[in-house]
Amino acid sequence: MTRSPRFGWLLGTALLVVGLGPGAPGLVGPPPAAAQAPQLAVQITAEPPGLDLTATPASATATVVFYNIQEALVKVDAQGRLVPWLAERWHTTDNLNYTFFLKKGVRFHGGRELTADDVKFVLDRARNPETKHPNARHYEDIATIHVRDPHTVTIALKQNNAMFLHNLARQGSVIYPREAVDQLKAHPIGTGPFMLDRWDRGDRVILKRNPDYHVKGLPKLDRVTFRFIPDTNAALAALQAGDIDVMAFGLGPESVEVVRRAPNLQVILGETTSDVILALNNSKKPFSDVRVRRAITHAIDKAEVVKGAMFGLGRVLGSNVDPLNPYFVDMSKAVPYDPARAKQLLTEAGYPNGLEAVLKVTPQYPYTVRTGEVLVGQLEKVGVRVKLEQMEWGQWLDRIYKNADYDMTIIGHAEAWDAGNYANPKYYYRYDSARFQEVYAASERTLEEKKRRELYAQLQKIMADEAPVVWLYVYPRLVAAKKGVQGIWKDLPNPSLDLSEVGWAK
Amino acid sequence: MRRLILRRAVAFLATLFVVSVLVFTVVRVLPGDPALIIMGTEASPEAAAALRRAMGLDRPIPVQYAEWLGAALRGDLGRSIQYDVAVGRLIVSRLAVTLPLTVLAAAFMILTAVPLGVYAATRQGRAGDVLAMLLSQLGIAIPSFWAGLLLILLFAVRLGWVQAGGFDGWTAGLWPALRALLLPAFALGAVQAAVLTRTTRAAVLEVLRADYVRTARAKGLAERGVTWKHVLRNSLLTIVTIVGLQLGQLLTGSIVLENVFYLPGLGRLALGAISARDLPVVQGVVLFVAVTVVTLNFLVDVLYAVLDPRIRYE
Repeated sequence: MTRSPRFGWLLGTALLVVGLGPGAPGLVGPPPAAAQAPQLAVQITAEPPGLDLTATPASATATVVFYNIQEALVKVDAQGRLVPWLAERWHTTDNLNYTFFLKKGVRFHGGRELTADDVKFVLDRARNPETKHPNARHYEDIATIHVRDPHTVTIALKQNNAMFLHNLARQGSVIYPREAVDQLKAHPIGTGPFMLDRWDRGDRVILKRNPDYHVKGLPKLDRVTFRFIPDTNAALAALQAGDIDVMAFGLGPESVEVVRRAPNLQVILGETTSDVILALNNSKKPFSDVRVRRAITHAIDKAEVVKGAMFGLGRVLGSNVDPLNPYFVDMSKAVPYDPARAKQLLTEAGYPNGLEAVLKVTPQYPYTVRTGEVLVGQLEKVGVRVKLEQMEWGQWLDRIYKNADYDMTIIGHAEAWDAGNYANPKYYYRYDSARFQEVYAASERTLEEKKRRELYAQLQKIMADEAPVVWLYVYPRLVAAKKGVQGIWKDLPNPSLDLSEVGWAK
Repeated sequence: MRRLILRRAVAFLATLFVVSVLVFTVVRVLPGDPALIIMGTEASPEAAAALRRAMGLDRPIPVQYAEWLGAALRGDLGRSIQYDVAVGRLIVSRLAVTLPLTVLAAAFMILTAVPLGVYAATRQGRAGDVLAMLLSQLGIAIPSFWAGLLLILLFAVRLGWVQAGGFDGWTAGLWPALRALLLPAFALGAVQAAVLTRTTRAAVLEVLRADYVRTARAKGLAERGVTWKHVLRNSLLTIVTIVGLQLGQLLTGSIVLENVFYLPGLGRLALGAISARDLPVVQGVVLFVAVTVVTLNFLVDVLYAVLDPRIRYE
């Protein structure tokens, strides 16, 4: 090995320090495992706050567990379509009673077959407020769950719910064996392509192949290691050094060029459902005035924001319905960049000399800080003098999200189909529009495709008109991987990291 | 000597009590609660409130404190909210990284800084001294996280000699484990070594001017013997004081480097627990660090007595 002589001086010093003789074994380890080995080391930024999808909506938990360890009756695929999964088909004649036919021969990790009783148990538990499911409301329209035979279950709804199937595809709807309910947090069991091998708290989660996976020929990998590396520079160095194979979420837009230029690395660039917004406190003066909110929207050059804060990556947005949503309408031009109009609206609203506001951002998400810096400059030009304040994430959740104690803030909302937040006047936007709430309620109860599309178009128009927040851009999907890694979803229609079809090029 | 130890022991317990009350109250009074963080922005507020109640966080702080203290006295530090394992076990598993890291860094610091400081002092104003002072100035000026990143870029990315970070555990073998800790220990120890070099040099210089050194030389002792036997021995008091303080700083400094090198150590545990508001873990770690630092100070005090006969007879 030609490396040894150059290594000498460091090793010499080090050994001296450690007090080891030169007899220490293995001076330099072998190079990292050959690229063809059917395993994958994936960096994620945050460690999951527990592995129970029915106890936390954290995207770190979804990344590790959803689609990999546990699956649901219905799946959102890479193209964002709803496809049958653990239920191989379903039918309904009245949109109230849905009968699901479970796929036969699906086994829980190392154990028995999945049956309709598990489905009933899981959904009954989810809709019971006592169990503290993070989104019990997703199941509140369920009236009864009737097990017809081990592979057939009928769910009766209290009323029409256009989101019902979609809700069954969410991460909180995963099916687990009823006897393993107490170990969800530390050792979840499911039907997924991988099973949990171990979770070294604070360091990594290791998954191993499920030999009985119900989709033949999958997964392609034998082993997946998720490593928690919060520092993006450290993660990039680990990728460059070959210690990890994929940076799943940690790649910042500023590092995309570095990865692109590296001969052995690739960048995967796609869309997500994460809408980055400038939230305005609608219950507080001056943002309770729609003219002020529209003025702020007019004052912001979103294309410039994407250029300045995101190195040009990310799609400009005009409402809370993202481009991956089938009912997406491009509203980004509805309230265009127009500083003159912004000033005029501010004057009409009684602020001819502009106004002052505090914009809170959190360094937990560096894009919020960078975006905030660009916005301060843009708003200044129309007389809105903004003071930028950084806030720790735990405080942000408490002060802003829980108590709406703020003027303006920037954050990305990752969840798909989250327009309902604007119909909830208690949500931290404190946006209370009877018009919006009415149309949204109608959209929830309307199943006819054409009508529903119309209602969604209307929703998007109301959002743009009433400007409860400023929708800035869609956070791009940025993945860095070694060349040869294949099968990673380009777009991300929901928070997940499906590794079932990921493998290495032959 | 016995009275000294007794006095210190009382101070020791009082410090721990104050620390425990402070940390318990502060983490509960500051905004942010663990239930909110677990639920994030995508859960209903009712779910967060229910979780908060289930965790018992809605009860009065003194009640919670009494319960925690009672359990802690029995050796039970509680269970981590985020990890669902016993806090004591978590701390022990993290020590397997942080302790060797700190010891390596301390060894590196002492073994380079003390000889270098003595060398510089005995050659005051000459080229060797100037070079040593330049080096130590550099060491003080470079922040350790930046030094860490530079070291990773050079030794892991460019040269590929070591891994960029991470720690595969002691089960992977003694040498691979030590190798994973070399760069972070170096980055961690370098700054403190720079400080210690300067302190050692100053301490030695002062002793060199003392009368008994002149006497030693006058009675014909070789310069080498003078330096190591008389000068160093008498400078040790200052050096030990500084080293004692620095051990505490190494422990806190490891937080930064454990992040850069993504080592699953105590520092990262603390940092993660604070941002996740994993209250039992925060309390446990702070208490543990307080015990360690206070114990170190106590040992330094006792060591004084050993090194300096005047203190012993007081």
